[in-house]
Amino acid sequence: MWGRRRWITGTTVAAGTMVLLYFLPLFHVVPLEQARQRAAVAVYDPVEFVDWFWTEQLIPGAAEAIDAAELVATVQQDRQLARETHGRRVGLGGAYYFFVAGSGRIVSVDRYSVGLALCDDQQQIQVLLETGPIFGNAVRDGTGLLDVNDFANSQDFNALSAEINRRIEQQVLPDLRTGAAIGVTVRFVGCAEILDEGTDLSPLRIVPFLVEMP
Amino acid sequence: MLKDHRELLVRFQSLIALALMVLALSLLSDTFLTPQNGWNILRQISVNLCLSLGMTLIILAGGIDLSVGAVLALSGAVAAGLLKTGVAVTPLEVQLQFTVFGAIVAGLLTGAAAGLFNGWVITQFRLPPFVATLGMFSIARGLTMLWTGGFPITGLGPDFGFLGTGVFLGIPMPVWISGVLVGALVVLTRRTRFGRYIYAVGGNERAALLTGLPVNRIKLGVYTLGGLLAGAAGLIVTARLDSAQPNAGLGYELDSIAAVVIGGTSLSGGRGSVVGTVLGCLIIGVLNNGLFLLDVSPFWQQVVKGFVILAAVAIDKMSSRET
Repeated sequence: MWGRRRWITGTTVAAGTMVLLYFLPLFHVVPLEQARQRAAVAVYDPVEFVDWFWTEQLIPGAAEAIDAAELVATVQQDRQLARETHGRRVGLGGAYYFFVAGSGRIVSVDRYSVGLALCDDQQQIQVLLETGPIFGNAVRDGTGLLDVNDFANSQDFNALSAEINRRIEQQVLPDLRTGAAIGVTVRFVGCAEILDEGTDLSPLRIVPFLVEMP
Repeated sequence: MLKDHRELLVRFQSLIALALMVLALSLLSDTFLTPQNGWNILRQISVNLCLSLGMTLIILAGGIDLSVGAVLALSGAVAAGLLKTGVAVTPLEVQLQFTVFGAIVAGLLTGAAAGLFNGWVITQFRLPPFVATLGMFSIARGLTMLWTGGFPITGLGPDFGFLGTGVFLGIPMPVWISGVLVGALVVLTRRTRFGRYIYAVGGNERAALLTGLPVNRIKLGVYTLGGLLAGAAGLIVTARLDSAQPNAGLGYELDSIAAVVIGGTSLSGGRGSVVGTVLGCLIIGVLNNGLFLLDVSPFWQQVVKGFVILAAVAIDKMSSRET
């Protein structure tokens, strides 16, 4: 009696499982080559992405940057107002960014930066263009052109920052370093990363991604 | 009469503690007693609830499981890995691409297998559960690192993510899952023979053995269920984060033991309930949420939580001495 009941229960469970697996399969079998091709397409390459981003978004997006002279003037008047009107906050941390463009006369040159005065009658350094090495996420987060949610994970997003910084160091900064001399006029577009409220904004430290000198 | 009052107080100690906490926090914070915050608390405790339900069965049977956090990480990683990359069967030149359902089943089976191994080691080699599950803790952490290579597995897709972030009939999915599991375990412990056996084994293992109960099989079942529930918790965590983190679940075993103890389950086994554990989880969840809303430093939160656990165990000891 018990044996028969067990047999019926076992058969019912097995049949139910088979029906369930028919409608809800555990996996699909695909040829290995096809799976490899699919995986290769899905691989994220930060170098390739930055190639595209640099020419298609970053350089055309430079038109969106705020005028450096205007920003410096606002910072001198009211730092809080400058942050609220021109700053860009990312995430929950206290860091914020400025996306700026402008031109100025070189008034100082040292190993890590080039100091600019934005007005002709000004002798003080108002903007410092960093000449490397570049760390942080100034350009990635400062422009507002990239959204972390568009990337599969934070590693991919961080790799993007590393690649942008590498490209700035290799393609933008060498010209700035070699051409920098007191009195030369420089046109620039870049981003400033302000890590907290206590950061000194005079002069404003900018990571440039576009530099033009006569 | 006084004894009746004291018994009533002891019996409903967790509920009274929870009610007092809710009352106090409602007065101290404007945002605490809002429907949104209520759902938030339920969503937050759902992972600990899954782990604590399994832990309740294990502690009721006189054991302990220190590996649930590690098993949670392993289960989540296995499910995520199978879903994301599948398994290559090189000799046949094919790849098994797992479906969401397949990944869920694999994650649950991984948890159950780890629990079964715990039970097998404890019953076959007579190892203390503390030592055996500490071994599994290390094994599961190592396997997770091997499987993931130490990197998170991310981008699991919206269908899998629904488990952790979806809403069905206005109720978040993690709350549904933990709610269904609570219902199933209440029935298991109160209405089934297996449930009564768990209490018998935890209350007096030798007596249970002498009365002919299959003690080893019951322990195997209990640890397997504990692992299965840790697997379910791993799936919720992974789906919620859309990522299987190799270090997921660190310290979760302590939170689940705390919830079980605060809920009135005796660490010596044989006494306690699933409903008590639900209250224990709610107390921890409300405490965490309330202290956060009151802007108390996370370091102080740890201190307060520690005192609550000590108080719960002390009350448990005092009440068991009196009865």
